[in-house]
Amino acid sequence: MIKNELFQNVIDDLDIGYWELKDNTSYWSSAFISSLEYSQNEIATKLDYFLEQLIHKDHRALFRDNFYSLVENNVDFKQTIQIRKKNGDFKEYTCKTNSKLPVNVHEHSKVIFFFESKIKTSTKVKDDNFYYRESAEMTSTGSWYVDFIEQKSYWDKETRRIMEYPEDYIPSLKNSSNYYAEEHHQRAADAFFKCAMAGTPFNTEIKMVTANKRIFWAKAIGKPVYNDDKDIIGIRGVFQDIDEEKLKTLHLQKTSEIIASQNSRLFNFAHIVSHNLRSHTSNLSLIVQLIDDLQSVDEKLELIDSIKDISESLNTTIEHLNDVVTIQTKTDQNKIDVSFKETLQIVSKSIKHIIMEGHVVIESDFSEAQSIQYIPAYMESILLNLITNAIKYKHEERNAIIKLKTYIENDKTILEVTDNGRGIDMERFGKKLFGMYKTFHYNEDAVGIGLFITKNQVESLNGEIFVESEVEKGTTFKIQF
Amino acid sequence: MKNAPVELACIIDDDSIYVNLVKRIINTRKLCKNLLIFNDGKESIDYFEALLQNLTANKIPDIIFLDLNMPIMDGWEFLELFTKIKPRFNKVITLYVVSSSINPVDVDRAKSLSSVTDYLIKPVNINDFESIFRNSA
Repeated sequence: MIKNELFQNVIDDLDIGYWELKDNTSYWSSAFISSLEYSQNEIATKLDYFLEQLIHKDHRALFRDNFYSLVENNVDFKQTIQIRKKNGDFKEYTCKTNSKLPVNVHEHSKVIFFFESKIKTSTKVKDDNFYYRESAEMTSTGSWYVDFIEQKSYWDKETRRIMEYPEDYIPSLKNSSNYYAEEHHQRAADAFFKCAMAGTPFNTEIKMVTANKRIFWAKAIGKPVYNDDKDIIGIRGVFQDIDEEKLKTLHLQKTSEIIASQNSRLFNFAHIVSHNLRSHTSNLSLIVQLIDDLQSVDEKLELIDSIKDISESLNTTIEHLNDVVTIQTKTDQNKIDVSFKETLQIVSKSIKHIIMEGHVVIESDFSEAQSIQYIPAYMESILLNLITNAIKYKHEERNAIIKLKTYIENDKTILEVTDNGRGIDMERFGKKLFGMYKTFHYNEDAVGIGLFITKNQVESLNGEIFVESEVEKGTTFKIQF
Repeated sequence: MKNAPVELACIIDDDSIYVNLVKRIINTRKLCKNLLIFNDGKESIDYFEALLQNLTANKIPDIIFLDLNMPIMDGWEFLELFTKIKPRFNKVITLYVVSSSINPVDVDRAKSLSSVTDYLIKPVNINDFESIFRNSA
């Protein structure tokens, strides 16, 4: 039996049927129950029930004997049995106890595994054509073999070369997790475990670690090797160094994501341009029609005021659009370490009079994440927009209290800005909240540009912005940087 | 204003410049006797709902010009609510969507609604505008 830390945690995540006995508890894996098409509450996961209701009567006596020998005397067994499915049909399983298996999973409990019987063709290791040296070298493909009987692992010359080990290196089976990058230990364990236990071949891309601690992408292919009794006696396969190709693919993927997000912003922008400029040009053309239509010069002259108004609105719109374009082009600016505390100080100073006049209270807690790599001007603009918004839409009956907090969630820095304002009816306005020129309150100074800009700034640096709000209670904006 | 083809018209639009221009056209060409103006859907739906409590025939508009893109309550929301209460007015109410959106999605969506007579793209042509009033008389 191979003891290997790689497999310590694997069993819980696997879709393999097993029956675990530990400290007088009897547990059946959900994969086992569902492979028989039952649901958890339809059956009792106990021996009596199993013997009376599930197992075929021809196999009952032997299984009972085997079961008791295992529980009482630690005698391992292997038996082929038929179990009744929910629809009354029988399904054939091979059951094996854990120490009969090539790898050790749970040291402190007794486990009976149930493998669905499959017809397997025997594959014998043919030593003579195992090492295709030429093609192996040319494709950076190394072969390996794990022998469960001898408890040894074999690498060919090319595997040693890819893994940067000397030619006389003998691979370790016990510490095989060292050959895989930390984040892919689970992936490696899953693949080898399923192959060793259930005979499932694997073909996966995985990060490996060389003797020199260099991490590279490899394609790992493995197949079970059976003896004449159809028992799995080993796994053989190949590792191929695909680092260059994989990195290219990942790079390409990333580029394509960036292009897609830029494209969607451009599309959005084109829509804004056509929509917001159109409303002004259509007014202009209406005026021209009116001027033609009106008879008296005085009446015609009266329209000049309207032209002035249009010209002003047009200018404002173009300024806003300019703000949007600047965001799209600024993203390649250098990011530097931006402190939340300092940025908040700058912003509070710039709107000092509004804060004083409105008796606004700003509380902040940046202890869990004090700074991030960001474009300073964006951070200022984001804080300014969220804070002025909270002040603008404060509840009429109470002073504005704005709370800022940062923390780390799933390796990403989060900023939350919470106010006690009048809130937003999310059902009605949720979808439009970040749209351009969308306002939801009868506020004279509502322009509908702030949140649109904030969203664009956050997204242009691959972040996301979310909002939660309750009418009359307040609003929380959450930015994931 | 005698001989005006329409008794009461209604404009729902947040663009004050546009509203002023249309008002001017209506006045110079004497297209209706009275004109109701609302800045957004909410103001107008409040008006219609209050009217239902106390139905007065001459306060129900014959023709409505509705913008789509408005704050607080946009044209779509207005249409949804208005379609529900419209039958209770017992009167033919013609409704035109007037928007600067040339997005075919908006046009098709508006035209598919039974309460919408037609979709006009801004800028409206003054003569077309006039004939809408004359034809609905």
